[in-house]
Amino acid sequence: MLYALMGLGLSLITGILNIPNFAHGALFAIGAYLLVTTVGVIGNFWVSLLLAPLGVALLGLIIEYAGIRRLYAAGHDYQLLFTFGLALILSEGIIVVWGPVGFSHLPPQILRGGVDLGFTFYPKYRLFVMVAAGLLILATWLFLEKTRYGAIMRAGIENKEMVSLLGIDIHKLFTVAFALGAYLAGIAGALTAPIRGVNPNMGVDMLGIAFVVVALGGLGNLLGAIAAGLLIGVAQAVVAAYWTEASTAVIFAVMALVLLVRPQGLFGIR
Amino acid sequence: MNRATIAILLAVVLLPFVVRPVIAAEIWLFAIFGLGLNLLLGYTGLLSFGQSTFFGSAAYVAGWLLKHYAINVFFALGIGIGVGALSALLVGYLCVQRSGLYFIMLTFALNQLFFFIAYQWTSVTGGEDGMPGVPRPAFLGLDFKDPMLYYAFVSVLKKKSLWVMKRIVESPLGRILQAIRENEVRAEAVGYNVARFKLLAFVIGGAFSGLAGVLYAMLFGIVPLEAIGFVTSGNVVFATLIGGSGSLYGPIIGSFVFIWLSESMSVVWVRWPLLLGVAFVIVVLFFRGGVVEAWSRLGDKVRLWQSSRQKA
Repeated sequence: MLYALMGLGLSLITGILNIPNFAHGALFAIGAYLLVTTVGVIGNFWVSLLLAPLGVALLGLIIEYAGIRRLYAAGHDYQLLFTFGLALILSEGIIVVWGPVGFSHLPPQILRGGVDLGFTFYPKYRLFVMVAAGLLILATWLFLEKTRYGAIMRAGIENKEMVSLLGIDIHKLFTVAFALGAYLAGIAGALTAPIRGVNPNMGVDMLGIAFVVVALGGLGNLLGAIAAGLLIGVAQAVVAAYWTEASTAVIFAVMALVLLVRPQGLFGIR
Repeated sequence: MNRATIAILLAVVLLPFVVRPVIAAEIWLFAIFGLGLNLLLGYTGLLSFGQSTFFGSAAYVAGWLLKHYAINVFFALGIGIGVGALSALLVGYLCVQRSGLYFIMLTFALNQLFFFIAYQWTSVTGGEDGMPGVPRPAFLGLDFKDPMLYYAFVSVLKKKSLWVMKRIVESPLGRILQAIRENEVRAEAVGYNVARFKLLAFVIGGAFSGLAGVLYAMLFGIVPLEAIGFVTSGNVVFATLIGGSGSLYGPIIGSFVFIWLSESMSVVWVRWPLLLGVAFVIVVLFFRGGVVEAWSRLGDKVRLWQSSRQKA
């Protein structure tokens, strides 16, 4: 579910802005760290869960406005270098601010412990994450499918020139899309923190996975991102149960396999 | 001999007296690494963000053989080139199926696959601690443990690599690759198997990366996990771009700037990758086109200034 969330955000950014966002993992990590810090300051998990991703979205807004905006005409190599530089700054910045050693973080009191689902015993917090991620994906989907601005955004994925010809401020659209993608990365990070804790490498690890999800699902293909995220998540969980060491490598193996059979991705359009 | 050749010869001779021989050797081996990427990025128009896959794999395999079987230096270099080419064949076969952003993401994702294999396979690679104890065996009485001699060795190989790359770029193959860069559809229409030529470029680039990887392992006596990490892939992209991709000498200038930059930064602050990130961002925002172009722009300004003074 979290993979789907990450993939969805990245798919939005890469699909609409047509840039490789190598800072996406760092935004994820910042979301997790912000959550831990705000919980430490405010003491309330729910308020923090609201605030931390908004902080990441704000960061995304600034990044797009101050940097990426100047690079749309520059070619992928420079865009890559820019977002890669940003990723370095953000992940090293995390070490500077929060230190090189990660720490664990407990879920709020009412979400501790587990529930008996009849056939298996499942931690409450993980259940909550699944529901929350599902709701977020649903909300994003509703926004993109049912609202006017969402329709404009989808039109932006299809044909940017046409959208700006129709009198829509495409730059504003780009900024909003980047901020939304950053928000989704941030909230995925915030939700992850109580499960896996936080550490400076979490961003890079997630980045590879997010790219796999987008490569499989298709750029700007939101349904594809969700399906690919679920596929990867399940594959990883199954392998982790039998051979823990290979659980990360299997993600990339699945990708290689899918690309061999279907070079255009799961639901390839482009 | 043209001016570029003289400039490079001069740089090769002078460099070890300006910086430590180890750093000087690192600059040239990084230049070999950059040459390989430049064939993809500059000449074929393929932005690979996974070059450290080939660099690191070659360093691990050749390093392992050097360590445990005490193989000959040239044999190790051959192994490195072979491993680099072979891993590039595997990765490239998957990646050339897609183009544009997908291609970039795939090279990165497969880089991560190799990284995690190296990370988990601790009995061979040492995981996070790296694989130490890679020797620099003597050859025909030449003791490569002498840093100056090893530097000379790397310089000669760099010179040879440059020569080989020049031949490749100027050959019909090089022209086909440039045709693919300029217009892929047209190259296909003219009758070239674009995917196969892209793969070939990938394999050649991988071979150069592999050579650089082995030289790296022997230079530092260790294969750190970072050698196969994505930051190394990013660094070589940066070095190639800052030198000016698409020009044969670009990566050489670029790796000089990059290694010098990162060495001086690492002295200043432990968290120097942050400074490096800042440098990336600044270069992208203000100095697109690399050192070569920035230099010529500076030249234009100077000439403009001079002519305006003459008029006054």
